[in-house]
Amino acid sequence: MEQKQFKPLDPLLHSELRLAVMSLLLEVEEADFVYLKKQTDATAGNLSVQLDKLSGAGYIEVEKTFRGKKPCTLCRMTDKGHEAFLTYVDALQSYILQANKQ
Amino acid sequence: MENLSTEQSLRIIRETLDKSRRSIARNSGKPLVSWGLLLVAFSMIIWQLWARTGSPAWNFLWFAMSAIGFIVQYFLLKDKEKVPDSEVGRMLGKIWMWYGIIATVFFASIWLCVPIAGHFGLGGIQVNLTLVMVLLLGLAGAISGAVLKIPSMEILSAVAAILCSMVAILVDGPAQILTIGIIGVCALLVPGIILQRKAAE
Repeated sequence: MEQKQFKPLDPLLHSELRLAVMSLLLEVEEADFVYLKKQTDATAGNLSVQLDKLSGAGYIEVEKTFRGKKPCTLCRMTDKGHEAFLTYVDALQSYILQANKQ
Repeated sequence: MENLSTEQSLRIIRETLDKSRRSIARNSGKPLVSWGLLLVAFSMIIWQLWARTGSPAWNFLWFAMSAIGFIVQYFLLKDKEKVPDSEVGRMLGKIWMWYGIIATVFFASIWLCVPIAGHFGLGGIQVNLTLVMVLLLGLAGAISGAVLKIPSMEILSAVAAILCSMVAILVDGPAQILTIGIIGVCALLVPGIILQRKAAE
């Protein structure tokens, strides 16, 4: 009998807001906090907490800078984050494949 | 760990990517529409002025169009929604930036070099500027369509470039300028409207 091969899902990415942030950063070089907030419809506080978690895991880099006189928080995905995201999508696909086989 | 199903996770990824791409498309559409409108307007104005006065010197108005275009772009960029740089957006910017540089430098150098060459007894140089402009515009439009993955933009620009370049070879004088207007519609205006419509969907 064939054994089911479920790949583990990265708990850090398996969250609605963190997954949305990573999906956004996948497409662009870098994005500022305001853009991420607008695209995800998240509150500033919640987004800030989730960005800290992603940054702590080394999935994103957060740079505090200035745009003119206004402070600006820039986020970009790291190579580690890119790899983790691809592994996560791969794991999702393995779940779907198993579900289709059953 | 949140209780997300695989379907929900995939939906979040898909919807977020779609939303982000729509923002990028909306921002790419505006400059194409504004340059397309300018090109059509100036080709009509130059055609009329050249036809009425008989002087091809009205072609220098293309430089005025470039200046107006850059001012319009400045205000468009100032007002537009801040969208981060994407690979697609950057490639589009590069394609049209190089089109602008090559077209402007080529146009300026021909207008400067031909009289100077004539002064030194090297006259008789005939350059079909409209043909070059039409081909460059069509090429830039077709490549932009390929980058944006809009086949209608690729085909429309390529077909318009081929047909307009033939007209530019066969027709001489002021009427030739109208081919630039036509290619402006096909390579800039229509694709820009398509992009904006896609973004609004």
